[in-house]
Amino acid sequence: MPVQAPAALDAATVEHVSLGEPAWLRAQRADWWRRVEANPWPTLAQEEWRRTSLDALPRDGGLLLDPPLATYELDPLLAARGVIFSDLGTAVREHPELVRSHLGHNDTLAAQMPFWGRSLAAWTGGTFLYVPAGVAVDGPLVARTVLPAGAYSYLPHTLVVVEQDASVTLLEEISSPDGDAVWFGGTGDLQVGYGARLRYANLQRLGDGVWRIGAQRVEVGQDANVTTLNAEIGSAISKVGMDVRMTGKGGTSRLLGLLAAGNAQRIDFNSCQDLLGSHTTSDLLYLSALYDESHAAFYGVTRVRPEAKGTSSYQECRNLLLSPKAGAEPIPVLEIETNDILRCGHGATAGAIDPVQRFYAQSRGLSAGAAERMIVRGFFERVVAQIDSEPIKARVLDALAPRIGQTDEVAA
Amino acid sequence: MALPNPAVNKVPTGYKYGWHDPEMKSLHVMKKGLSREVVEEISRIKGEPQWMTDLRLKAFRHFEARPMPTWGGDMSQIDFQDIFYYVTATDKAVQSWDDVPDYIRRTYDRLGIPEAEKKYLAGVGGQYDSEVVYHNIRADLEKQGVIFLGTDEALVKYPEIFREYFGTVIPANDNKLAALNTAVWSGGSFIYVPKGVHVELPLQAYFRINTENMGQFERTLIIADEGSSVHYVEGCTAPAYTTASLHSAVVEIIVKKGARVRYTTIQNWSHNVYNLVTKRAVAYEDAVMEWVDGNLGSRLTMKYPSIYLLGERAHGEVLSIAFAGSDQHQDAGGKVIHAAPNTTSLITSKSISQGTGRTSYRGLIKVYPGCHGSKSTVRCDALILSDDARSDTYPYMEIDEEDVTIGHEATVSKVGSEQLFYLMSRGMNEAEASAMIVNGFIEPIVKELPMEYAVEMNRLIQLQMEGAVG
Repeated sequence: MPVQAPAALDAATVEHVSLGEPAWLRAQRADWWRRVEANPWPTLAQEEWRRTSLDALPRDGGLLLDPPLATYELDPLLAARGVIFSDLGTAVREHPELVRSHLGHNDTLAAQMPFWGRSLAAWTGGTFLYVPAGVAVDGPLVARTVLPAGAYSYLPHTLVVVEQDASVTLLEEISSPDGDAVWFGGTGDLQVGYGARLRYANLQRLGDGVWRIGAQRVEVGQDANVTTLNAEIGSAISKVGMDVRMTGKGGTSRLLGLLAAGNAQRIDFNSCQDLLGSHTTSDLLYLSALYDESHAAFYGVTRVRPEAKGTSSYQECRNLLLSPKAGAEPIPVLEIETNDILRCGHGATAGAIDPVQRFYAQSRGLSAGAAERMIVRGFFERVVAQIDSEPIKARVLDALAPRIGQTDEVAA
Repeated sequence: MALPNPAVNKVPTGYKYGWHDPEMKSLHVMKKGLSREVVEEISRIKGEPQWMTDLRLKAFRHFEARPMPTWGGDMSQIDFQDIFYYVTATDKAVQSWDDVPDYIRRTYDRLGIPEAEKKYLAGVGGQYDSEVVYHNIRADLEKQGVIFLGTDEALVKYPEIFREYFGTVIPANDNKLAALNTAVWSGGSFIYVPKGVHVELPLQAYFRINTENMGQFERTLIIADEGSSVHYVEGCTAPAYTTASLHSAVVEIIVKKGARVRYTTIQNWSHNVYNLVTKRAVAYEDAVMEWVDGNLGSRLTMKYPSIYLLGERAHGEVLSIAFAGSDQHQDAGGKVIHAAPNTTSLITSKSISQGTGRTSYRGLIKVYPGCHGSKSTVRCDALILSDDARSDTYPYMEIDEEDVTIGHEATVSKVGSEQLFYLMSRGMNEAEASAMIVNGFIEPIVKELPMEYAVEMNRLIQLQMEGAVG
């Protein structure tokens, strides 16, 4: 049995979590909890929460106090050069000053603040990755967590700091057994410095009773280059807010998503690509394959600030409806406050597989099922092709297979 | 209420319809402000049947109960108690321009309406403040049973057909401003086109606000019976006052099986007018509904013409042009609801913002379960002409059916310096070159307008742009 806090999240739980922690962290958790209490719970009147009611969120499971830790494997040579890759609690113990200077200082999108705040107040797990200036980490770092059975709340926080001119690839994979009603409130704060490069992939394979209410904040520094990938396969409800701040001049971000949902799953993303700095580039591509009675909503805002000159941005959201009862609500919003733009636009589509494609594939001898799998796999290829780490690509395809089918099945 | 922004407290240059008729003699001027008594008094002056008085009062209760919308544009300066709800110069609509009071006649002459009527219109209506002052339709159409009347007159002459359709597309409690309109509506056009009749030339109505702090609340109802067709055009202008006026119309259109309606608006209100309008059409089997919506004037426009596709194979189109100059906000767009199989729709929006202007496209495509074979394309392009201008796009899509093809695309761009350089190297000045690029940008929509309006639209945009570039 996992160790759980006795009841729903409250000030006492937050205090309990911080027992034995340094004073600064105890104060920080308490501060965040005060902000949580001062801020209202989201309502259906908020644009970002209109499509996902939180009424049935399993809030009563106690907080998971002893989460299983991921295995954090790091080449000793990299550790010697100052790279730190561990769980957040260990990092607080071993590198308190470093963690202190980066943890818990940022706000995120207003719509996600209630959950961002809860996670920063009550995290009991999460990844800490620090890559010092100038260090290039070859090959992906992998943090894989398998959550236990049981009905609980778990609000881990991941903190990634990539210093000037450093580069790193990180895969975070989370899975849990089916059946239990869990509130998984994972958040991530990705801080990418001057000229640095980050490839971040999040592979979500949570059980079918899990409510995943997450938030990701990415701050892209001058001339930095960031790619994030969210591969969403599991959970009952997945609601994630992505806050992408293009603060540094000349920064680039690519935001990729692969969403494969079935049964009565609901996936609801909201994003804000905030172009604050001049000559920044931000492109988003989210692809959803929706089976059974699943439903995907995507409310994404591209905001170009008056002082951000010469920016390029595109936001694209495509939904493949694979069942008569599947549904999609892609809503790409533009708020453009300057005329000095190089490129700005968005596209959104929803529809079934083109019957001509289906017919063609079947005329070549594929069964109806194999034809569909091949077409869905092809539909996803635009994102899959952009995953430049082979191990991550293989891992993502493997995770998608139960939903969309194996690619070698198609060939057979 | 004086407008807060000093920039609009002078008459905008280039707005050529900004005069007002000082000699207007009002027959009825109701005191400013809104109350149950004002609503009852409007109904009493009009001598309406009880059901309409009751409907007005019910709508007024809805209006009072509902909060102001908090999305869209800035409506904080609208003071509903500082508006005239009913001002009228004449007591009936006449069918000859000779019978219209001289000063009103002069206004319409300056707007070129009687001239246009002779040349290329099948019928004309003119509304001056609260009441329709002129209404006429060609005799041959009248003989075929086409009805084109002021809405008040239609209530008297055709009470049954009126009651059957009025408020069925936009109910009294639809939204706060539609409730306001239902409570205090006056004027507007009523059109009925019988089965199989095609009205080949456009019918036009011209809406003019003259009185300061006026609220104009016209109500238009168009019924195109099976297999018929009609094109209705409305234009709007107002004097350029330094205080706010309110225009809050409701337009309901019923397009029956196989019928076709096109509704064209050239909105050119002066920059002190809040233009908050609800327009909605229902289209049955094989029907076609088209909104052509040009928004050039007003301080704030919030208007999203919508189409409910209720019958199989119905088709809806919205063509929207918005131009926002300094201190203007055009929050426009369109909505199409696919509620039957094999329905199709197309929304094309072109918006231009300059100075400190702001354009917003706001739209919705909704496909209900079971509406297989539905197709929709939404295309929004925005051109931002100055550093301080702003453009937003809010395209909502709710798709609950698999067998559909739904697409949305949008771009935002500026006038390219290379484009400008090229044109200027051919001898144009910057303003001319920009105007030409803008005209090219809106061409796909302008070409859908009747010739005379296309020319007018290009000229209006040129006027808007004068002195604004550089």
